[in-house]
Amino acid sequence: MKKLLLLPHSLKKAGYILILPFLTLGIAYMGWDFTISWLDYHPMQKGEFSFMNSNFTDEFATIGLIISLFFIAFSKEKIEDEAIQFFRLEALQWAVYANYLVLIMAVLFCYGGLFFTVMTINLFTVLIIFIARFRFVLYQYNKSNL
Amino acid sequence: MKNKIKIQRAIHNLTQEELAQKISVSRQTINTMESGKYIPSTALALKIAQLLGVSVEELFQLEEGD
Repeated sequence: MKKLLLLPHSLKKAGYILILPFLTLGIAYMGWDFTISWLDYHPMQKGEFSFMNSNFTDEFATIGLIISLFFIAFSKEKIEDEAIQFFRLEALQWAVYANYLVLIMAVLFCYGGLFFTVMTINLFTVLIIFIARFRFVLYQYNKSNL
Repeated sequence: MKNKIKIQRAIHNLTQEELAQKISVSRQTINTMESGKYIPSTALALKIAQLLGVSVEELFQLEEGD
């Protein structure tokens, strides 16, 4: 079977380590407007155009979270063989279906600020659902029928 | 598709883990093949058959509906 393009196995651990600070930062930003001072951005201010002032905490947290989830999701298993790849692709399809189902529900039932929050979380749900589904399937096949 | 991997494995006195190691796949793969949840590629089927000293047709059979 043609091998899938995947990251080395060692990055899985890195992903699990990185996700903790980035997730904490993301939650702190969304819940309490927490920002990191060194991520402030003050370009030259000209008169009234001070709206350019910005802070990159949210960008930092978002990209960090995506990268850590990506590491966890797409690093090779210790033994990445054809069956594992088959279950990987199956879990990915499952995650895309589930994600769009959640998205349709959000479009129907969430409005205003809540919709914006749901869309923000939706940036990560494909990867999160994929990881959960894939790990669950592997766990199940690992424990049954010894 | 039916298969006789489990029976052949017992005849050769191999555990799932041992068979997995010999053909360099994971134990889950042997497990899911034995239970019919995963149908191996032709290459893997040939590899298992070769290791167990039987023909692929002896190891795997079509079922009704396949």
